[in-house]
Amino acid sequence: MTREAGAPFGAAPPSAGAAIVTRGLTKRFRGGQVAVDSLDLDVPRGSVYGFLGPNGSGKTTTIRMLLGLVAPTAGEHTLLGLPLAGALPRVGALVEGPAFYPYLSGEANLRRFDAADPTASGATVRRRVGEALDRVGLGAAAGKRYRNYSLGMRQRLAIAAALLGPRELLVLDEPTNGLDPQGTREVRALVKEIAADGTTVFVSSHLLAEVEQMCTHAAIMSTGRLVAQGTIASLSGGQVSRVRIETPDPAGAARVLAALGLADVRATDAEVTAELGGHAPERVNAALVGEGVAVRGLSVVRPSLEDVFVGLTGEGFDVDG
Amino acid sequence: MSTAETRTRTTPGLVPVPETSRATERRPPEPPAGAVPPRRSSSAFWRLLGSELGLTFRRPRNLVMLGVLAGVPVVMGVALRLVAADAELGGIVTSVAGNSLMLTFASLSFLVVLLMPVAVAMVAGDAIAGEAGTGTLRYLLAAPAGRTRLLAVKYLNAVVFSFAVTAVVALSALVTGLIMFPVGPVTLLSGTTVPVAEGLLRILISVGYVGAGMAALAAVALALSTFTEVSIGAVAGTMVIVIVSQVLRAIPQFDGLADYLLPARWTGFDGALRSPIDTGAMAEGLLTFGAYIVLSGSVAWARFSGKDITS
Amino acid sequence: MRKGTFVRWGVPIAAAAVIGAAIGAGPVVAAVSGDPALPERSAQQLLADAVAAVERTDGPLPMSGTVRQTASLGLPALPQMGGESPLALLSGSHEVKVWYGAQDRLRVAMPTHMNETNLIVNGDEAWYWDSDGNTATKIKIKAGAGWAHEPATPAPTPSDLTPQAAAAKVLAKAEEHTAIGVTNTAEVAGRPAYQLVLRPKAEASLVQEVRLALDGETYVPLRVQVYAKGSAEPAFEVGFTQVTFTPPAEENFVFTPPAGAKVEEQTLGEVISDGKAGEHTGEHTGDAKAAKDLKVVGEGWSGVVVAPMPDLGSLPAEAPGGQGDPAEAKALLDNVLKSATPVSGTWGSGKLITTKLVTVLLTDDGRLLAGAVTPEEIVRVAGTR
Repeated sequence: MTREAGAPFGAAPPSAGAAIVTRGLTKRFRGGQVAVDSLDLDVPRGSVYGFLGPNGSGKTTTIRMLLGLVAPTAGEHTLLGLPLAGALPRVGALVEGPAFYPYLSGEANLRRFDAADPTASGATVRRRVGEALDRVGLGAAAGKRYRNYSLGMRQRLAIAAALLGPRELLVLDEPTNGLDPQGTREVRALVKEIAADGTTVFVSSHLLAEVEQMCTHAAIMSTGRLVAQGTIASLSGGQVSRVRIETPDPAGAARVLAALGLADVRATDAEVTAELGGHAPERVNAALVGEGVAVRGLSVVRPSLEDVFVGLTGEGFDVDG
Repeated sequence: MSTAETRTRTTPGLVPVPETSRATERRPPEPPAGAVPPRRSSSAFWRLLGSELGLTFRRPRNLVMLGVLAGVPVVMGVALRLVAADAELGGIVTSVAGNSLMLTFASLSFLVVLLMPVAVAMVAGDAIAGEAGTGTLRYLLAAPAGRTRLLAVKYLNAVVFSFAVTAVVALSALVTGLIMFPVGPVTLLSGTTVPVAEGLLRILISVGYVGAGMAALAAVALALSTFTEVSIGAVAGTMVIVIVSQVLRAIPQFDGLADYLLPARWTGFDGALRSPIDTGAMAEGLLTFGAYIVLSGSVAWARFSGKDITS
Repeated sequence: MRKGTFVRWGVPIAAAAVIGAAIGAGPVVAAVSGDPALPERSAQQLLADAVAAVERTDGPLPMSGTVRQTASLGLPALPQMGGESPLALLSGSHEVKVWYGAQDRLRVAMPTHMNETNLIVNGDEAWYWDSDGNTATKIKIKAGAGWAHEPATPAPTPSDLTPQAAAAKVLAKAEEHTAIGVTNTAEVAGRPAYQLVLRPKAEASLVQEVRLALDGETYVPLRVQVYAKGSAEPAFEVGFTQVTFTPPAEENFVFTPPAGAKVEEQTLGEVISDGKAGEHTGEHTGDAKAAKDLKVVGEGWSGVVVAPMPDLGSLPAEAPGGQGDPAEAKALLDNVLKSATPVSGTWGSGKLITTKLVTVLLTDDGRLLAGAVTPEEIVRVAGTR
C-alpha cells in the first residue's frame, strides 16, 4: 500500500498484511441458529471486494464481527494485520444503513462520531468534516438537521462518516440500499474513486450486477457459508463461456463446431451454442465461413456471477431481497 | 491528519465541490511530516466527554427537564410566601419564610424524592439504550470509541448531569429565596444560628451530597441501560427501583434495610443543617452511594463489554 | 458469548462480595475473632471497678456518641407515627446523639428528616428545642434538684468508704430479687466491653435477663439489652453505636434561642425520671394526683402497677415541653385496643394487651394494671384488690 509522504496516519506507519483475513469465523446466536459458519475470507490490499449473498446469508453478521460489534462464537480475524482496536481507526464503516442523532445537523453528527475516534484530532475536525461532507455532496446541507434529510442524503452522510479520517479499509454494508438510480451511480463512482486512491473497499451487496460492475474480487455467501471467493475473472472462470451462432444452417454449424473440438454442442432451429473453451471466437467464425456455413451473428456468452451462484448452490438468487 | 485533504486534492470529488477550495484556504498550516505527536488518549477521552456533554445539554428534552426543575422552587417560594403571610404554620414553612436560604433546603428536600431522580434516570437510562435504539451505538463502537471508554464517558456525563440537576434546583431556590424572603443569619435544625456565608457553605455541602446521591442513581440507571435497547425501559426500571425503595423505607419491618436504600440516604443532606454537621451520617451516606456506584458500574461494565451489538 | 464471560462477571460478583463483607464485617469479624479479650472479672469486682472509675474521674467521663434504641416489643404496627413523638420510640429503632460534658452539661439531640429536637443542659439552665415547631423552651430547675441521673451507674452514698464496699452493698441489695452474673465479653461501638447479666428471680417476670455492657476501659455503661423470655433477640435495646471519650466542644452546651423562634418557659422542681411511681412531687398537679392513686402490687421484677384508668385525652407528655399529641396517643391506643384479648375471672372482666416485655390489663371496672409479668400473674393481681 503506497501513500504519499507527509500523510502518515498518526505516528504509525501504514499497516502491512492483507486487509481482512478471517479463519473459521463462526457465529451461533443464542437460539442455536448459525448465522455464519466457518468463514475463511482473504481480502487483498487494494482490492474492491464484493461480499455477495442474498439477504439473510450472514453478510451483516460477518461485518459486525469484523468491526468487533458482535463476538464470534469461534474463529478469528484480523483487519489490516492489526489487533482490532489498532485497526478500527484506519477503517471506515457503513453498517446496516445510516444511524444518526435526528436533532443534530449533519455536520454536528459527523463531529460527534469523529470525537469517538481516539486517534482523530479535535484540531482538524472542522476541516475533515467539511471535506467529508463535500466529498459526498452534502456541503450545502451541512447545517441542516438530520431528521430533515432525505433517504439518499442520509446514506451519503453515512458514507461521509466513513470517510472522516484517512482510511486504509472501507467496509460498506449495502451502500446503495434505498438510493435512487442517480444516487446509486454516484455511490458506485465514489467507491471506484476511493479504490483508485489505494484504499481497500469491502462492499457487501445482494445485487449481483452491482458487484460485477464495481468489484475486482468477490466472495459469495449462502446461508452462512462461503461458497466461493476470488477475483471476478477467476470466479467467472469456473463457468465456461459459450459461443452462440445464429445461422440458417444449424446442422452444418454444429458439424463444424464439433469438428473444431468444441464441447457440448447444442443446435436449435436457428442457432447453435457450444462451450468456447480455449478457442478464439474469430477463429470459430473463420472456420464456419470456410465450411460455407452462413453466419448471421456470432456472440460469446460470458457467465455472470448469477450463473456462478446458481451453478455453485443450485439455488436461484433472491435479487430483490 | 493530512491524508484526507491530500487525497481530496489528488482525486476529484464525486460531485462538484465548490466549497473545497474555501475550506482549504481556511485551514491552518500543516505541521511538517513526522512532527505530528502521537495522540494522547487522555485528551481524546476529554474530547469524547465534551461531545457527550454537548449532546446532553443541547438535547431539548433534557433542557425542558432542567427548566421544570428550576421552576419548582420558584413555585414553592411563591406559594410559601402567600401561605406564610396569613397563617401560623410550623416547621419548614416558618423556616423558609424566616430566611431566604432555607428555601434551598426545602426545595432539595421536596425534589429529591421523585423529580430529580426522574431527570437523572432519563439521562443515565438513555445513555446506552438510547444509542442502541437509534443505532448510533454501532457507529460509536466502530469509530472505535472503545466499550470501556464509552461507558466511562457515559457515566461521567451522567454524573455531571446529576450535579447539574442538583445545582439548578439549588440555584433557582437560592435566587427565589433571596428575592422573596429576608436575608440574614440562618437558623439550623439544631437551633443554632450561623452567618449567611456559612449558610451558603452548607448549601454547597448539601448540593455536593445530593449530587453524589443522584450520581449513585445514575450508575443504577446506566447498568439497566446496558440491558435493553429501549431507553424508556431503562428509565422506567430505574424509577421502579426508586419507588420500591421508598415503599420499603416506609415499612417499619424493613427498618434495618433503610440504611442501604438510596432514597433513604438522599434525604441525609439535612446533616449539613445540624450543629455540628452530622459528618458521621453524611459519610455513611456517601459510602452507600459509593457502594451503589461500584456495584452498578461493574455490572454495567460486565454486561456492556461482552454485549453483542445487533441494533 | 465472548470469551472471558466468567472473568467479566467476576468483577461485579467480587464487588458485591466486598460490599457485602463491608456491611457484614462487624458481625463476621466478631464471629471469627471471638469475643474481645479482657481480664476476668466477677460481678462484684466489675461493680467495684465501675464505682472506682467514677470516683477517680469525679463522675462519668466526658463523652459523645450516637445512641441507638431499638424496640421490638411486639406491639401492633403504629400508624403514621411522627418521628418526633416520644410514642414513636415504642417501635422500630431510633438514634439520638449524646454529648456529655459533665454532670450538669449535657446535650441530647434526636435528628429526624429535616427536623431535630434537642435537650441542652448547662448548669441550672436547660433548653428544649424543637425545630419543627420552631419553639425553644427554657426549663428552669429549682435549686437542689440535679440533672444527674446517669441511670445505670450505681450511686454510692458517702457512707460507702471503698468502691468494693459500695459494690458489695449494691449487690447484696439487688440479689434479693435478681441473680447477677458476668457473661462473655462483647464489642459495643467498637470497644471491648464486659457484660453484666441481671436475671430476675421471680417466675412471673416476662424478662429473661437484662444485659448491661460496661466499657472495658472506662466502665461507662455502653449498652442495655432486655431479653424477653423465649426470645433470642433483645426486645429492647439501647446502646452506643459510636462513642468517643473526649470532652465535646463547648458550643454543644450553649443555646441561644434563634431570632424568630417562639420562646416558652417552664420551671421544674424535679425531673420526671426513673418512672418510679409515687415519687412525682413536681408542680404538675395532675401527675401528683394520679400518683396518689397509684399503687404497686408485688415486689421487684414482678411488681404490677395498678392505677385508675386515665382519661385518654390527658395522657401525660413525657418529655418536658414535648408536643405529645393527644390525637396521636388516642390513635395508638385505639390501635392497641383492637388487638387486645378479652379476659374475665372472679374479679370481673377486662381487656388484656400482651407484648414481649409488658402486659397491660384494662379492667371493665376502670382499673389499669401494668407490669413486666405474665398474663396469668396480672390476672391474679387483678383478683387481689
